[in-house]
Amino acid sequence: MRREMWTRRNVGAVATAALVALGVAACGSGGSGDDGGDGTVDGEGKTLDVWIMQGTNPSADDFFDEVGTAFKEETGAELNVEFVEWADAHDRFVTSIAGQTTPDVAETGTTWTPEFADAGALAPLDDYIEQAGLGDDLVEGLVEAGTYDGQLYGMPWYAGVRSLVYNTEIFEQAGVEPPTTWAEIESAAKAIKEKFPDKTAVAVPGDAEFTVYPWVWGAGGEVATLDGDTWTSGLDSPESQEGLSFWTGLAADGYSSAGATTWRETDVLDAFAQGDVGMAIMGSWTPGAIVEANKDMEGKFAAVPIPGKDGGMSPSVLGGSHLSVFETAEDKDLAFAFVELMTTGEFATKWGEQAGYFPGQTSLLDETLKSTDPLVAPFAKQFVEGGASVPVSPNFGAVQAKLTTSTMMQSILSGSEDVATASTKAADEMTSLLNGGS
Amino acid sequence: MTSTLPVAVPAGPGQQPGSGGRRPLGKSLLARVRPWMLLTPALLVLAVLLLWPLVRVGLFSLQDYGLKEIVSGEPNWIGLGNYVEVFTSSQLWTVVLPNTVVFAVLSVSFTVIFGTAVAVLLASLGRVWRTIVSSAIMAAWAMPAVTGTYVWVWIFDADRGVFNHVLQALGLQDAPVNWFTDRWSFYAIVLLNVVHHGFPFVAITVLAGLLGVPKELLEAAEIDGAGAWRRFFSVIVPQLKQIFAVVIILSTIWDFKVFAQVYLMPGGAGSNREVLNLGVWSYTESFGQNRYGFGAAIAVLLTLLLLGITVAYVRTILKEEEL
Repeated sequence: MRREMWTRRNVGAVATAALVALGVAACGSGGSGDDGGDGTVDGEGKTLDVWIMQGTNPSADDFFDEVGTAFKEETGAELNVEFVEWADAHDRFVTSIAGQTTPDVAETGTTWTPEFADAGALAPLDDYIEQAGLGDDLVEGLVEAGTYDGQLYGMPWYAGVRSLVYNTEIFEQAGVEPPTTWAEIESAAKAIKEKFPDKTAVAVPGDAEFTVYPWVWGAGGEVATLDGDTWTSGLDSPESQEGLSFWTGLAADGYSSAGATTWRETDVLDAFAQGDVGMAIMGSWTPGAIVEANKDMEGKFAAVPIPGKDGGMSPSVLGGSHLSVFETAEDKDLAFAFVELMTTGEFATKWGEQAGYFPGQTSLLDETLKSTDPLVAPFAKQFVEGGASVPVSPNFGAVQAKLTTSTMMQSILSGSEDVATASTKAADEMTSLLNGGS
Repeated sequence: MTSTLPVAVPAGPGQQPGSGGRRPLGKSLLARVRPWMLLTPALLVLAVLLLWPLVRVGLFSLQDYGLKEIVSGEPNWIGLGNYVEVFTSSQLWTVVLPNTVVFAVLSVSFTVIFGTAVAVLLASLGRVWRTIVSSAIMAAWAMPAVTGTYVWVWIFDADRGVFNHVLQALGLQDAPVNWFTDRWSFYAIVLLNVVHHGFPFVAITVLAGLLGVPKELLEAAEIDGAGAWRRFFSVIVPQLKQIFAVVIILSTIWDFKVFAQVYLMPGGAGSNREVLNLGVWSYTESFGQNRYGFGAAIAVLLTLLLLGITVAYVRTILKEEEL
């Protein structure tokens, strides 16, 4: 079952299937909240340490103040939330696992959960989920990603997807329509650059791997495929190279900016929020953050699914987060009480709405997907019809930490290597790392 | 530490029951043991805080040690495998070692030269200006490395940086340039950062030495017809040899293990493999790849390299003293 999950088509299908299944599954979830909170958790005088990630999502301080109050009411325990930057988080986790100083509960990126579980740092959650009666109501893609060795180590919290976000003012003034094919992206970029020579027509960041894979998939390539027990990276296939050539070619033609070569997604967000960028691949959670960074941007940007090469959609990474309970947690019941509070009901809905995420509970996801909000609907379409997964392997965290894809992008963008050389190097490294090499 | 030494109390009353009748022998033994007893607390603290971690790093470097081993606590010995991998890695010889060594040589030279020049300037200033200038350079010294690095990154930022703006305003370049992608310009920025952060220490230390050089010597040299350069290199520098030794050794140690100033720069955390140095390589292998054994081997290598340089340098200094 797990083996079949890697291909993007299947993941998309699973998301759709989850949707269809909700009609059946959702009914039972209404009363489950009562069963779960059976009042046995007593956290009086205790403190629960929680790490939450931050990056390009809107500030979450107020949200967690509320959660803290509700958690104190329910369990009597204090909540101590620490925000950790995505870019530093992997190192922080690994260091704290090494030093046995992990928090009680933490948000773990879906690609990290198997890695930390493999290290023995996470506590399995199946029993708790069964007890709370939540098993049937979790989004399958997230359950798959959080499962290691047949056990669930990450409670599905939310999912997100990246699409093409564009600045409507710039588009109008340059007289271009939102693109629907790759050729249209190029012509739109050209028109924008002619009208606004000082702006970045399309941001092609060098240190943001998730903005790269859509082009690989869109051209018919694969990031990596599993055959038996052996992974093979497809980044150097002719299809992948075609996608990479298109994407980096936009930069080579001068439609991106020199600085973008070393940009992370946070830098893309900053530049976009300043109104300096025509279009960029950005997450469903960024609209809130854009307005938060610059009030003037309100109503001045929109999103479309990432165009396919000749129409349709290029698949985009179905990313997401789990809430994981660490083995170091002294009171795991208390820890799960927090997890349940966060991932179900009121707070899960609120988090999704405020932050622009898709909830990890099927019954809630359905509501979001029906949204007609222009800043939600395109992402929802991408989520359901154009979602894909990066290789589900405990070793993919090592690929990310090695910055394999970013290294490839930077050497292409800076002109030090051509697409063929850089992608071959990256594919070799990824293949080796995924198979447990160094 | 010294304040707790009971110097005035000889073999106190507490010792008498034990020493009994063999007083003379006990006394001489006690006299020999006493310094060690007094040193014990300090040595224990050093052993726990410095020696044990050092030993652990050495032990890790002989193992294939990952997250699993840390969580389970099981050792996993592989002999010298990590060292073989380090020394046969082409990355070490073509990128990491040259980056580390060349950078250290350049930054130590620039830091010491510039710091000394500033010290000479300070020595020739009046009281008021000396206070003003030295507080100004203290600010550079007091700035945390992380903050300083972000300031330099901002200055050289491709799209919004001051540096590119000025170059373009002067017509020296047509389009913005990303200075962080090229190995040489990347390290030029790191060099600026490290020298800027490191020279105040040199300046203040050398100034202290300069003020201690007897005026008579300089006056005598001047009467003998020595110019400013001659006075500096033939009178002052020999007087300050010890100070320069300390300053150079410390700078070498600091500049060899420069980390934050590289890691925090765009591309410096590993996505630009051209700019890796020993410190960052060790870190990314250890904490990114969970290969603590391999990372430890790199760290051991760095330590040995520093130790070698320091020993060689101290020996030459001592030899010159003997002549």
